[in-house]
Amino acid sequence: MSVADLARYELAVPRALPEACQLLAARVASGEPTLLCAGGTDLLVELGMAPPLGAGARPPLCVDLSRLPELGGVERVDRDGPRIRIGAGVSYLALGRHALVEGALPLLARMSHDIGGPTIQARGTLGGNLATGSPAADGVAALAAHDATVVLTSVRGERRVPFAGFQTGYKRSVRQADEIITAFELEPLAPGSPWCWRKVGARQAQAISKVAFAAVAELEGGRARRFGAAMASMAPVTATLPATRALVLGTPLAGLDGEALDRAVAADTSPIDDIRSTRAYRAHAARALARGFLRELGAAV
Amino acid sequence: MKIELTVNGVARTLELPPLLRLLDVLRGPLGLTGTKEGCGEGECGTCAVLLDGEPVNACLVPIGQCDGRAVVTVEGLAVDGAPGALGRAMAEHGGAQCGICTPGMMISAEALLVARPAPSAGEVRHALGGTLCRCTGYERIVDSVLRAAAERRGAGEVGP
Ligand SMILES: Cc1cc2nc3c(=O)[nH]c(=O)nc-3n(C[C@H](O)[C@H](O)[C@H](O)COP(=O)(O)OP(=O)(O)OC[C@H]3O[C@@H](n4cnc5c(N)ncnc54)[C@H](O)[C@@H]3O)c2cc1C
Ligand code: FES
Ligand code: FES
Repeated sequence: MSVADLARYELAVPRALPEACQLLAARVASGEPTLLCAGGTDLLVELGMAPPLGAGARPPLCVDLSRLPELGGVERVDRDGPRIRIGAGVSYLALGRHALVEGALPLLARMSHDIGGPTIQARGTLGGNLATGSPAADGVAALAAHDATVVLTSVRGERRVPFAGFQTGYKRSVRQADEIITAFELEPLAPGSPWCWRKVGARQAQAISKVAFAAVAELEGGRARRFGAAMASMAPVTATLPATRALVLGTPLAGLDGEALDRAVAADTSPIDDIRSTRAYRAHAARALARGFLRELGAAV
Repeated sequence: MKIELTVNGVARTLELPPLLRLLDVLRGPLGLTGTKEGCGEGECGTCAVLLDGEPVNACLVPIGQCDGRAVVTVEGLAVDGAPGALGRAMAEHGGAQCGICTPGMMISAEALLVARPAPSAGEVRHALGGTLCRCTGYERIVDSVLRAAAERRGAGEVGP
């Protein structure tokens, strides 16, 4: 435990994104140890568990992202159609009670109420959830189900990465060390469309789930014209379920076969045994969650 | 780093390493030992304080992020130096036993009662969901909060 080391860290508090990007670029270029802090709910836990800084170690600089107006706000934008832009620094508390999120992204609103407890929701952010890179991250599963676009900003400018191309491996992503995650752009869900958010875990609050499932669908003429789904804690990265999606989008709902669905879910996931659950239980829960949502859509699975 | 904030309504100027935990600053230099450390990693909620009115875990907040902001601790929930309706209800109805979780429970309950003066039992449970208690079995805490809510509505008592 190295809480004592916290006294050695410095903090920079940029007030605007360009200033933060310049600072980060300079630090990364010179190889000096640098951390970012949004809500601190992952970072402070991590620092508390980190091995002690050596006596001669250079004190790391922490860059505070919580004062950057560019990371705030939820708004409608137009990018090849209507999108909702969610600032990477918006807290779960603010997300969960935002009228636009409740109306057009109900899964995200629901998920926000399910993160930790209220004290975590008041501080935690989607940007931090994605940057930490845990395959158990709930917010990331919700973003993945919506095929969110990740907006990254650095001194080189802004770039947009589709969710499917963001994660490259366990705790690895295409984000460069000098890039700040600034926002997510999500396609609104047509009013009244079905969606599902389920955390299967030991307790409702304060427990990382054994499996989490996020899914949205828009139906038309007995088929899904939109189907997005993702699972947390089912693979080294957030599972985006490509085979399951292809099966559901390519088959009339009435013709969907339960066993084919099970096979697709199995092909899309690689659960493990760990302290929270077993491989077999996770595989079972994943099949049951997928079948449950498909039944809700009218499939006889 | 120079940090200006208000703590329980009093303006403070501090010169401190900015990544010190708000929890340690409250309990150390500020002498406000009502806020307790249970786990030190966000799990137990006993270190909860209000930061600009929202309940947060003081063990996960770097003091440098508190510049220009308002912190309220359990000491700040006192009314004229004595426990308010919430503190009295916790003491009188078995909501506090060993008392370690009580400051966190009261802060989380306070945040709820300011937003929703007449909460349901379910809303109380949700609001306290991040705070662990090893003594009471929670029923008496929920009961105490509901009683305090009723008393506050009757007396027109408002929070900090
Ligand atoms: C008690 C407890 C319960 C929890 N429950 C859950 C849960 O139910 N579900 C869940 O998914 N998570 C949970 N978490 C984990 C955590 O709260 C979330 O991952 C949260 O979203 C992290 O956001 P933050 O803003 O606090 O991140 P921080 O701690 O501020 O940052 C985390 C990491 O991300 C980086 N970072 C932050 N923002 C950005 C950005 N904009 N651009 C680039 N990098 C960035 C930082 O450098 C840091 O490395 C829990 C944590 C605790 C302590
Ligand atoms: S001491 Fe902060 S949550 Fe336990
Ligand atoms: S009263 Fe002892 S932990 Fe709650």
